[in-house]
Amino acid sequence: MKPMKLAALLTVIATGGLLLYATSDLPDWGDPLSPANAGDLSTHYIQDSRDDTEVPNLVTAVLADYRGYDTMFETVVIFVAGLGILSILGQGKRVEPLAEPVASEGNRERDMITITTCRLVVPIIQIFALYVIAHGHYSPGGGFQGGVMLGASFILIALTSGLPDALKRMSQERAIFLAGLGVLIYAGTGLLCMALGRNFLDYEILHKVLGGTGVKARYDSMLIVEIGVAFTVMAIMFIIYAVLSSKGRMRGGL
Amino acid sequence: MGLFFTFVGIGLFALMLPILYRLIVGPTAIDRIVAVNVIGTKTAVLLVIVGVIFKQVGMFVDFALAYALLNFIGSLAAARYFHRVRQDREASSIKAPTTT
Amino acid sequence: MSFLINMISGALVLVGLTFFLAAAVGVIRFPDFYTRMHAAGKGDTLSTILILLGIAVFTAGNFSVDNLLIAVKIMAIAVFIMLTSPTSTHALMQAGYDDGIKPFEKEKEDEIETEEKPTA
Repeated sequence: MKPMKLAALLTVIATGGLLLYATSDLPDWGDPLSPANAGDLSTHYIQDSRDDTEVPNLVTAVLADYRGYDTMFETVVIFVAGLGILSILGQGKRVEPLAEPVASEGNRERDMITITTCRLVVPIIQIFALYVIAHGHYSPGGGFQGGVMLGASFILIALTSGLPDALKRMSQERAIFLAGLGVLIYAGTGLLCMALGRNFLDYEILHKVLGGTGVKARYDSMLIVEIGVAFTVMAIMFIIYAVLSSKGRMRGGL
Repeated sequence: MGLFFTFVGIGLFALMLPILYRLIVGPTAIDRIVAVNVIGTKTAVLLVIVGVIFKQVGMFVDFALAYALLNFIGSLAAARYFHRVRQDREASSIKAPTTT
Repeated sequence: MSFLINMISGALVLVGLTFFLAAAVGVIRFPDFYTRMHAAGKGDTLSTILILLGIAVFTAGNFSVDNLLIAVKIMAIAVFIMLTSPTSTHALMQAGYDDGIKPFEKEKEDEIETEEKPTA
């Protein structure tokens, strides 16, 4: 065991040293002349994104508009990850939430202090999460971050009031439905663009549906796809927690 | 004032090191969780200070709030998990003492 | 005016740092889990609130709508931490108590020392 540990330590040090040595070849932080910043694509993003989309936050514009395919399949990856965890650990048959807590299932008397704080804090978290989703055009944030926070608020309910209580608000079926709905909103936006005669996820044509100019349509549809992402991330976050913490039985919990 | 906040940030970081000591040495697991909780709270403050130094407070305040939220949920989950592991150990030792 | 605001903000931040120093010393020096928790919970919460208050005063000192909004947000973080930090301290303390961690007692410590000294 001891020589193995020593060998592992040496390997880690050698790998870390090589990585540190390799960083000397990387361009300086924020170097305007580095290939990533000075390429044609980056120049186009930096110079034209404001005119193309009206979104001040360049990251959101690149994430949800220019690289819409990438983000859509990231959402699908999250969706598939949740389904994978459910199909491996979850129970195939429908799980009825228990009306009465059962002592042997790990339910103990719930702590009043944490429950009261949770009641105060969960609405704050959810409002802040909605702010993060909606404000993604102007400040760091967006569907992924806001979705994680929404999911975390449900996890907080499950931690303080018990998993059955949280499942009453967000049952397994509802979570899977919301996760699918999120992907559907994203892909549906893209399909609507195709139906109106443009490429998949080319939002500009959506001004026929949303009103306003083509630029405004790109701005609005970015918010729509962010909401879709938030639905999926929220539901999958919670379902992963619920399945893992209860070993797939969907009762008891942490 | 920017320099002042730089030094405050360095001071905060320096004062986190003793707590890091408790995180590494801490005799019980729950000592370590407490240390992580304290460091997490102070990291939220540090994020705001970094925002002041970079003159981008409006942006960093959002990070700090999100970090504080997740830190709270994290430490609560750690406490519950600690409790649960203990319960499971007790339950298994009552049911089948020979297996352990 | 701006000098006064800077002084107030600096004083609040420094007092907050002092409290955090006390918390750090307590976390290192106190003998058992409960006392360490006491230092960590109280010192950490108060110092966080004071430092954030100082930064909020500094930010609001520039008097514009944006800055006032940011100051309100910083105060929101302070209020949030004021709510949650004691709660997580309480939950952790409960977990430790249920785990059966014995509180430190002075006399017992002395007995153990006197008992152990001859053997050691």
